[in-house]
Amino acid sequence: MKATPLSNCERRFLLRAIQEKKRLDGRQCYDYRNIRVSFGADRGCCIVELGRTRVLAQVSCELVPPKPSRPTEGVLFFNLELSPMAAPGLEPGRQSELLVSLNRLLERCLRDSKCIETESLCVVAGEKVWQIRLDMHLLNHDGNITDAASIAGIVALCHFRRPDVSVQGEEVTVYTPEERDPVPLSIHHMPICVSFAFFHQGTYLLVDPTEREERVMDGLLVIAMNKHHEICTIQSSGVVMLLPDQILRCSKITAVKVAEITELIQKALENDQKARKEGGKFGFAESIPNQRITTFKMESAAVDTNDVEEQAGEIIAKADPPSEVFASPVVHTPGTAQIGEGIESSWGDLEESEKEEAAEEEGESEAAAFECEKVETEDTSTLKETKSDEPIVLSDSEEEEVVILEPQELPRKTRTQTSIKQENPSKKAFNKRRRKKRTSR
Amino acid sequence: MAAAFKTVEPLEYYRRFLKENCRPDGRELGEFRTTTVNIGSITTADGSALVKLGNTTVICGVKAELAPPAVDSANKGYIVPNVELPSLCAERFRSGPPGEEAQAASQFIADVIENSQMIVKEDLCIANGKLAWVLYCDIICLDYDGNLLDASVFALLAALKNVQLPLVTINEETGLSEVNLKQKNPLIIRKHPVATSFAIFDDTLLIVDPTAEEEDLATGTVTIVTDEEGRLCSVHKPGGSPLTGAKLQDCITRAITRHKEVKKLIDKVIKSITPK
Amino acid sequence: MAVEMEVADGQCRLRPFSCELGLLSRPDGSAAFLQGDTSVLAGLYGPAEAKISKELPDRAALEVLLRPKVGLPGVLERSREQLLRQTCEAVLLGVLHPRTAISLVLQVLSDAGSLLSCCLNAACMALLDAGLPLAALFCGVTYALQPDGAILLDPTARQEQEARAVLTFAIASSDRKVLMATTKGSCSVEEMQQCLAAAQRAASTIFQFYRDSVRRRYSKN
Repeated sequence: MKATPLSNCERRFLLRAIQEKKRLDGRQCYDYRNIRVSFGADRGCCIVELGRTRVLAQVSCELVPPKPSRPTEGVLFFNLELSPMAAPGLEPGRQSELLVSLNRLLERCLRDSKCIETESLCVVAGEKVWQIRLDMHLLNHDGNITDAASIAGIVALCHFRRPDVSVQGEEVTVYTPEERDPVPLSIHHMPICVSFAFFHQGTYLLVDPTEREERVMDGLLVIAMNKHHEICTIQSSGVVMLLPDQILRCSKITAVKVAEITELIQKALENDQKARKEGGKFGFAESIPNQRITTFKMESAAVDTNDVEEQAGEIIAKADPPSEVFASPVVHTPGTAQIGEGIESSWGDLEESEKEEAAEEEGESEAAAFECEKVETEDTSTLKETKSDEPIVLSDSEEEEVVILEPQELPRKTRTQTSIKQENPSKKAFNKRRRKKRTSR
Repeated sequence: MAAAFKTVEPLEYYRRFLKENCRPDGRELGEFRTTTVNIGSITTADGSALVKLGNTTVICGVKAELAPPAVDSANKGYIVPNVELPSLCAERFRSGPPGEEAQAASQFIADVIENSQMIVKEDLCIANGKLAWVLYCDIICLDYDGNLLDASVFALLAALKNVQLPLVTINEETGLSEVNLKQKNPLIIRKHPVATSFAIFDDTLLIVDPTAEEEDLATGTVTIVTDEEGRLCSVHKPGGSPLTGAKLQDCITRAITRHKEVKKLIDKVIKSITPK
Repeated sequence: MAVEMEVADGQCRLRPFSCELGLLSRPDGSAAFLQGDTSVLAGLYGPAEAKISKELPDRAALEVLLRPKVGLPGVLERSREQLLRQTCEAVLLGVLHPRTAISLVLQVLSDAGSLLSCCLNAACMALLDAGLPLAALFCGVTYALQPDGAILLDPTARQEQEARAVLTFAIASSDRKVLMATTKGSCSVEEMQQCLAAAQRAASTIFQFYRDSVRRRYSKN
């Protein structure tokens, strides 16, 4: 699917609106869009909506051997996917420049800020540690992927519970959730990214740019900060030179936004925790707003299956019973066998004429072939049993051929094999002739 | 004239034949192509089989290796099936990583093994938690003329029937495994799944064992896998024309008959190489 | 987790269903479909300009992508993509949009059993939401055969694990015919036909759900 380009007049319109301190969605310059966090039924699964940008995050864990350089630390793995669902023009499995830079930024924000205690993930030093894997999927792209993904990532990590383990000697026991309550990850702080878009060489600044605004911006500044006002990472990209004052101002804005967002996250986590504890309903089904006309819900519905057995029986009874098997396999050589031209061939007359032809070609009469076969069944011990219980089907021309071509000289089994192998090409040629004949008809 | 008509209106060409209850290659609608099987011709594999279904040719080689079993299923071995459609077998396949059709066929074969329980994975375990057999079943199509699934399932079954595994024992003192190449045992095959494929023409007509040409013109396919007790190991209808339950029943009936034919064939061919 | 329903005599129950249409702003059609705790999000783009290599002269080229929640798509996803694509192709009137491309992306949000049928339902709702011309609707129904021989509709993940066989059907709205069928585990012919007959009945309930949700969606203009 191809991406649609932005037209010149739309670009001019957007820039003009920014100059007049107006945004298309009615926000002020420093306003964030609404954030909504919803949790899945599984632990460590959440969807974050930032305006219309949507990111799904899921945390999973696995026991792996640690890296040799850090034998006592768990392994963290982060991956953001730009799903082709999110916008036209995104291709599955392609490592675009945008994707690589986003992944690197999220890694610096979540791993390099040391917000997750990795030593607590060690089970047996140098042998077994937990690998925590965070998968994020962009579901709808309406700008500011970084902020949405960083919120989704940290929320999912906070929501996740890993199975409890115990070590006794060399034995490592992993407990199921029924046996022992799973344990949360130890998280020191929550770094959150806040993006600033610059326009007109840094004259104008917007917080939380939408996709349209991102398309016309000159530069982007991302600051990751936690609620203790500690900057975790900072990145400036694009073609804009920033003054120290501007960065200071941005970091002050960041501090305010991070405090708000952290509070929202904690409230959301508490609500979910409460719902789980009290046995209330939770999961994505609960997060769908009921009052919208685009949504519809149905309670568990009963389906009457009273007389399906009769119905099924009727269908089976009506169908024709399986027909008798007519096919009789032909063994060419030990290890090679064939079923003829299928069953119930109505081409009997053709078969007949072909057979005659075959017999003529080989210069043998049918009666002779028949006799040879009898001789053979007595002589060869290997083929004896397999053939004795089968009716001799006269229409099977290949069978006769095999017999005809090795008349009486059957002193040993090995000789038989070789002689047949030698004759194989001629048989193939014969088959070909026959096929030709059929198709020409 | 007929050739030109076929090129211009291939579907109409087929319809004229199907109306008369036959097909351009001379078969009836419910008739299989000639099925030929050859087993044990690859000496480097632990078991092998070549199956020809008309022009469609599929070869299957089974390679057995030893490996420690997975932690969560300590008493089980592994079966790893893989279907390859190399560029030599038909024009439309490209070399390189497997395409959708090859991957879907691999998954189908894996499902058939799992569903039919033809081999119980516990049988492949040598020492609990320590050593087990891994059976790599590589199925390669040499000539693609339709009905890949039937040929592949048959080739797999024939090759597995042909597998001879050496006796492996674990030395109590040293803890090392010892392979006795002189004493070989066949695999225990619990069930014999046989696949039967149908192509649906014009939403109503069912033809068995479609060629590549027929598959292209058809509006859908169905594959039924049955075992010797007449149980269904797989009913695989990947989209395409809708069918009624009664039509599906017809397919199953034909599949049961086909199973008997193939079972007869495989029994005979195995018998023919069994040393007395 | 969903409260497991008591199965009354001769009755099977669908888990609570919910769906949300047009929830994504970028795709031309989108739907989230939930069956109990299983949920799938579908987004659809098209019919739009196709790449020349993928263009078909007589109909629209349909591409279906299934994205797992953890890790990259593997062989299982590819084979399910094939099932889903051929099911959609059977009902989609692609001949009305020749030389275009339609791309349907399905994202698994959570798997708590009957995932394939949920994917089918989400796909059909996305096709509906995008307003594409369809010859018929389809819905996915999963049945599990329990060890005691009883059939169970819309099983949860645990019920699927315990089951002897799991059968998934796609049923078309016209004459309740079978569009797609796939099975896991082995069952007898009678059991298969029973599940199919039961699936055809469950389909009526699901189609009514489709109808009600679309009616609600267009209740205000």
